[in-house]
Amino acid sequence: MDLLLFGTLTLIAGMALCFVLPGNRLRIAANLVSQVIGGWCILSEAIPVLFGAPSVNGVMHWSYPVDQIDLQLNPIGAFFLCFSIPMTFLGSIYAVGYLSKDIDSERHVGTHFALLSLVQLSYVIIYTVQNAFAFLVGWEFAALGAWLLVIWQHRDQKIRFAGFNYLVSTHVGLFFLVAAIVVMHGATASFQFDDYERFLRQPSVARNITFVLLMTSFGLKSAFFPFHTWLPRAHSAAPAHVSALMSGVIHKAGLFGMIKFILMVGHPEAWMGWYLIVVSGASAFMGVLYTITQRDIKRLLGYSSTENVGLVGIGFGLGCLGLSYDSPTLVALGFGGGLLHVLNHALFKCLLFYGAGSVYKFTHTIDLEKLGGMHRLMRWTAPLFLFGAIASASLPPLNGFVGEFLLYTGLLQSPPALGSGRVGLLLVVALLALVGGLSLLSTVRLYGMIFLGTTRNPHSIHEDSRENAWMIIPMVIHLCGIVAIGMVPILGIRLIEAPTSMMLAVSSAPTESVTAFMPMSLLNSLAMFSALFVGVLLFLLAFRFWFLPRCNRTHVTWGCGYTAPNPRMQYTGASFSGPMVSVFKDMLKFVSQEDLPEGVFPADGKYKTHCVDSVEHKIFEILDDGEKGATNIMDRLPESSGFSFAMGLIGLLLLVSLIALN
Amino acid sequence: MKYALLTAFHIAVLLIAPIYVVGVINRVKAYWAGRRGPRLNQSFFDMLRLMKKTPVYSEVTSWIFPVSSTIVLATAVTASLITPIVPGFAPFGFPGDFVAFAYILGLGKLFMMLGALDTGSPFEGMGASREATYSALAEPVLLLGLGTLAWASGATSFQDLVIPDVSLGMNIGLRIGIALALYVVLLIEAARIPADDPTTHLELTMVHEVMILDHSGPELGIVQQASALKMTVLMGVIAAVLNPFSVSASVVGACLAAAASIILIGLLAASVGLVESLIARFRFQALPLLTLAGFVVVMFVLIIFNVGQGHIQ
Repeated sequence: MDLLLFGTLTLIAGMALCFVLPGNRLRIAANLVSQVIGGWCILSEAIPVLFGAPSVNGVMHWSYPVDQIDLQLNPIGAFFLCFSIPMTFLGSIYAVGYLSKDIDSERHVGTHFALLSLVQLSYVIIYTVQNAFAFLVGWEFAALGAWLLVIWQHRDQKIRFAGFNYLVSTHVGLFFLVAAIVVMHGATASFQFDDYERFLRQPSVARNITFVLLMTSFGLKSAFFPFHTWLPRAHSAAPAHVSALMSGVIHKAGLFGMIKFILMVGHPEAWMGWYLIVVSGASAFMGVLYTITQRDIKRLLGYSSTENVGLVGIGFGLGCLGLSYDSPTLVALGFGGGLLHVLNHALFKCLLFYGAGSVYKFTHTIDLEKLGGMHRLMRWTAPLFLFGAIASASLPPLNGFVGEFLLYTGLLQSPPALGSGRVGLLLVVALLALVGGLSLLSTVRLYGMIFLGTTRNPHSIHEDSRENAWMIIPMVIHLCGIVAIGMVPILGIRLIEAPTSMMLAVSSAPTESVTAFMPMSLLNSLAMFSALFVGVLLFLLAFRFWFLPRCNRTHVTWGCGYTAPNPRMQYTGASFSGPMVSVFKDMLKFVSQEDLPEGVFPADGKYKTHCVDSVEHKIFEILDDGEKGATNIMDRLPESSGFSFAMGLIGLLLLVSLIALN
Repeated sequence: MKYALLTAFHIAVLLIAPIYVVGVINRVKAYWAGRRGPRLNQSFFDMLRLMKKTPVYSEVTSWIFPVSSTIVLATAVTASLITPIVPGFAPFGFPGDFVAFAYILGLGKLFMMLGALDTGSPFEGMGASREATYSALAEPVLLLGLGTLAWASGATSFQDLVIPDVSLGMNIGLRIGIALALYVVLLIEAARIPADDPTTHLELTMVHEVMILDHSGPELGIVQQASALKMTVLMGVIAAVLNPFSVSASVVGACLAAAASIILIGLLAASVGLVESLIARFRFQALPLLTLAGFVVVMFVLIIFNVGQGHIQ
């Protein structure tokens, strides 16, 4: 516990140094050193817990009305801390490369790094405290820190709007969380999670309400559909490393909240599991459907986060069903698969955002339709991004597949007690397959449009801001994680073993290890399968390039006889997803502006179309309607003094009667 | 011993059958059109010829292009090693391997499409877009079908789940229903009519063929070999589903099962040729309906099976 506190104090000191020291370079150096020392202290407490050491407990005293704050670093918190802290540090390293121009300028970059430390601090609070009040404080630190990081380029009005949009949405989520805590505090008159646990263990209407409130709040935090509207805007406005950290790390706090409170509920009712599965299934599907329509790379990656938290949520829902039907296998595969996907998503999504950042730095555009041919120009980013993209499509032999494989195995091994519910789970299998197919399309489109073919707009390239080592090294480290978990799934399982055991411990299963329910043979065969594929591939590659004739001549691409092709004639992202969009056209909303050429000698025409978020569109419509409605009512009120007098009397009467009744 | 023999048989089928499957389809189509058609093993000689040629790449391509075709073949080979051709046997099986089967083929499709986009050709981009759309729609049918079989057989390994553990009537209905749905998947994944016309002459109307416009020499040969292998593997799965025998019985049973599977693969190849001769390719907009039909068949089977299990009173 002492190390944890020392680490926290070091982080705070690092924040302070960012403001005290002169010169951007010195500030950043001090901050990075403080992050290393603080992170190392915190991890040296967390890692043993993650690998089976007993939980670390502590108590802090504070003035009235909180009195005391219990701290507990348990395996679930340790799991989230163990990837959040190093990944945020990698993000800070990337920031040094990404913000290189700002660092050389007059701007005070220390603030930015201080905010990154603040976010680190918020993890420690959220993942360890056992007190609702302190939890809310940590929650708010994370939200405000993320907001201030997003609006780094605050001179741009669009970025400020995206920032405020995020701030409002995250506080709507906070209201739900506060409401849930009010309900629990009302029932227990306490801020301690231990008391809440006792309340949540007993089935009651209040518990059901609390569950829905909590899941809504955490769903907003992690951008589940239909609470995702803030996410694509915020991700596209923020600097690349901030988008990466928000998507991969900071908003995983919502998923942490889910699993933490499911653990407190202990024995959930079946509807809770189904509720999670349905909401998450919708998120996975709508998220991936939106990715195929986007032309802004970072918006696209943002929607992909909605898809991936949906996959995690399906796992958690499955685990809930396992808890309510007493099926340890389902608990292990559901929560295990979900948690592993949390880690996997963090690994590949940060890599993809970092890659998008280097593309942006190099070309000053993140519009798919204006890129192309980057493969030859970006020697490091292109292959790294390719691996991230394959992992994000959940394809073997990389890490995305391992988590999804566990989910599939769980869905297929449903206990007979479920009855007709098994048909429901098989339908989720079909949904996952469709999501997989759509994300394959989206991945090919993303990678193909940015990196393959020829450059659509050669003037946009800025030779002076190429990818640099500060940006490449974090990407390479993420790649190592992706390949390691993909090729040796046991590594990933070791990381989620202790947290999943906690979930198993609350089920009525005998106290055995997780691996008893997640057959080792299964994972070994998965590793062998990956090895088999890599072996076959290496053999075939060797055969192809040693024994068969190699290319010694190139020629222009076959243009079906057309002799004057130009880069603008390449297939675009919009046309690539065209056929699929036409299949799901009823679910997507397109807005188009057209000014078509007319007449014999037409002037230049233009046609613009883009896919708007239908939920966001609806929200604005409702707000607009509400404003009109309010105006209408106001207009209808007669402006005579007699009417106002009557209304005033009625109001007074109500007030008096309320006081009298009390 | 038994394992070694069966593996040898499996690999022999995978080496030889793709040549003849293509041969049979072409022969049936030729026969139906009143021609004599090429030799049954013509595709083997085509392959040899292509392997000797020196390829010409497009100027635009990066390293993705030459590597992609080999990756496509590697995924098809890996997938072929975990699929059963004879019920009850695959050289390499593990629980949930049919999910790995679908996803490793997905990796192959990814590289097929990346190779196409690497040339910067608008036509190849168009082909990739269509391929991505159709295969995404076929995926749920494949996994729901195999998932239903897994439920019915109580097994999660590909080699065992094709042997449903239910009463005779249910067994027949289940096998025929799932085989029908998988047949739809086969037509789409193997790029045959009505999903795609492999012999069309116009780039605008192609799907699979347009993605390999710039492939030549060994690359073209490798991609064609991969497609033929993938088609054979999918036919092998359908044959295994329809096969009334399985290897778990005696030696005679195993021989019968092997013979039945080979005959079924031959019949399936002939039926693909027959379908190609008798109907025209569907409009692109009509293809989602074809996959929907496959999905509905599986759902139908699934619901009947669920009722049969006595879950709905």
